[in-house]
Amino acid sequence: MVHFLAKRIMQSVLTVLGVVTAAFFLVRLAGDPSLLLLSAEASQEDIARMREALGLNRPLIVQYLDFIWSALQGDFGVSLRQNVSAMSLVLERVPATLELALTSFVVGIGLAFILGIAMRMTKARWLREVIMWVALTRQAIPIFSFGLLMILIFSVWLRWLPSLGRGTWSHLVLPALTLGTYELALYLRLFNASLATEQRQDYVRTAYAKGQGRIQVLLGHMLPNALLPLVTVAGINLGLLLGGTVVTETVFSWPGVGRLIVQSVSQRDFPVIIAGVFLISLMFVVINLIVDILYGILDPRVRLA
Amino acid sequence: MLRLGILRTIAVTLLALMLVLILVIPLLPFYDPYTQNLGGSLLPMGGRSFDGKFYLLGTDTLGRDMLSRLALAGQVSVMIGLGAVFVSLVIGVALGLIAGYFRGPLESVIMGIADLQLSIPRVLLLIAVAAIIGPSVTMLALLLGLTSWVSYGRVARGMALSLREREFVLSARTQGASATWNIRKHLLPNVMPQMLIVGSYEFGQIIVMEASLSYLGLGVQPPLPSWGMMVSEGQTYLALAPSLVVLPSIALFVLVAGLQFLSQAFTSENEVVGAPERSKP
Repeated sequence: MVHFLAKRIMQSVLTVLGVVTAAFFLVRLAGDPSLLLLSAEASQEDIARMREALGLNRPLIVQYLDFIWSALQGDFGVSLRQNVSAMSLVLERVPATLELALTSFVVGIGLAFILGIAMRMTKARWLREVIMWVALTRQAIPIFSFGLLMILIFSVWLRWLPSLGRGTWSHLVLPALTLGTYELALYLRLFNASLATEQRQDYVRTAYAKGQGRIQVLLGHMLPNALLPLVTVAGINLGLLLGGTVVTETVFSWPGVGRLIVQSVSQRDFPVIIAGVFLISLMFVVINLIVDILYGILDPRVRLA
Repeated sequence: MLRLGILRTIAVTLLALMLVLILVIPLLPFYDPYTQNLGGSLLPMGGRSFDGKFYLLGTDTLGRDMLSRLALAGQVSVMIGLGAVFVSLVIGVALGLIAGYFRGPLESVIMGIADLQLSIPRVLLLIAVAAIIGPSVTMLALLLGLTSWVSYGRVARGMALSLREREFVLSARTQGASATWNIRKHLLPNVMPQMLIVGSYEFGQIIVMEASLSYLGLGVQPPLPSWGMMVSEGQTYLALAPSLVVLPSIALFVLVAGLQFLSQAFTSENEVVGAPERSKP
C-alpha cells in the first residue's frame, strides 16, 4: 500500500511537472512575450529594455527553472489584458466550474443507477432496449449540439428554463443534464456487465436458496458489489468531466474556468490560458489520485503491492 | 441486451447516408459552398431567394447554400479524422508492440508516457496548443493523432504480451528470426483486426473532438466550413432559424453514431469500448 501510494504520488508530481514544462515551451513557441506587450512601433532599445525587465535575456535553462519555481508557487505572471495576477483570475472562476462538474457527476451516476436497476428488474425486453438506445443515441451527440438542442426545446420553445448564466438552481438544470448524460451509455453498460458478473456468483445462488426474492437479492446482495466498478470509472470520469466543462460553459455562458480559457484564447492572453490549463490539470490529477486510494479502501481484494 | 444485427444494420445505414452526403452531393449541380447570396440569407429549408433560386436545406447568414456547405464540411472532417486515425494507429501499434515484445525498461518508459498523457485532459491540451501555435487542417490532424495513440498502444501491448509466448512466435525465434521480423510478420497481422475496431471507435471520438474545437473557434478556420463552426455561427440565430444549428448537428450525429454503433456491434457484450482504464496498482 505504502509502495503503491508513493508510486502514484510520484506519478502525479511528474504529471504536474510535465504540464508546467509543456506550458513553458508552448509559451516560448508563441514568440517573444515582450513583443506581445509592446506596440508595433517600439524601437530596438524599447524591446531590449522590456526583455531585460522580463528576464528574457538570461539563459533558457535559468528562465525555465525560474518559470517552474514561480509556477509551483502559483505565480503564472500577470494577465496581459487586465492588470491582475493570472492565477487570481482563474481562482475566481473555480467554484462555478466545480459546481457544474460535481452536479453533472451526481446527475450522471444517479441516472445510471436508476436506469440500471430498472433494466434489471423489468421483465419487459422493449423497456430495456429503449433505455439502451436512448443512452447510445445520447453518446453520439457532441456536448455543444446537445446543449443547444436543450436550449432550443426548454428555453426557446417551452420557455421553462433559462438558457444562459449562473444564479438560481434553474440555471444549473440544462448544463448539468448536458454534461452529466454524456457518458450515460458507458455507465449503463458497465453497470449491466458488473451486475451480470455478480449474478453468477455463489453467494447469489445461496441467497436464492434461502428463499429470498429477486428484489431482495438484487438490492441487498448484488448491488453493493456491482457498484464498485461503476464508482471507479465514474471517479476517473470526474476528471474527464472537467475537460467537458470547457465546451459546456461556452454553450451556456457559465462563468467558469473553461469559459475563461476560451475567452483568453481569443484575446491571446497567454498567462491566463496557461494558469487555467494548469489548474484544471491539477484538479484532474488530484481527483484521479483520490479515486485510486479510495478504490483500495473500498475493495480490500485489490492488492496494492 | 441489444440485438447486434439491428445495431450493425443501423450503423451501416448511417455511414452509407454520410457517404452520400460527402461523396455524391458535391457531384450534383447544387450551389457552390462559398458563393454568398445576400438576397437570400437565413432562408428556411426549401426556401427561395429574391432572385428566385431554390435552396433545398436553406441558407446561412451570408446566404450560402447549407446543403453544399454541409457536404464540404463533412469532407473536411473526414479527411482530418482519417489523417489523425492513421497517425495515432501507426504510433500506437508500433509503441504497443515494441513495449509488449521487448518488455523490460523500454516497456516501463512507453507505458509511463501513456499514463502521463492520459492524466492530462485532451481537450485542454489541444486548446492550449491550438491557441498558441494556431490551427491549420494538417496541424489539427497531426495534433489529434499525436494525442490519441494511447488506446491503440495499450491494446496492442496487451495482445503482444500473450502473442510473444505463442508457439509460432517462439519457433520463429529459435530459428533465428529477428525481433523486427517477428513483430512485422507474426505480431502485426494478429493485432490488426482489433486495432481497426479500436480505430472505428476512435475515429468517432476524433470527429467529436475536431467539431468541439471548431465550435470553440480553435479548429478548422474560415472560409473552410466545418460542422462545429457552422453550429457556433448559427447559435446566435437559434430562435430565428434553428435549422442553422440543427442541420450540422444531425450531420455530426449520423457520422458519429454510425462509427460508434459499428465498433459496439463488433465488441462482445461484456467488453466496454472506450472505458477509461485505471492505472494498474
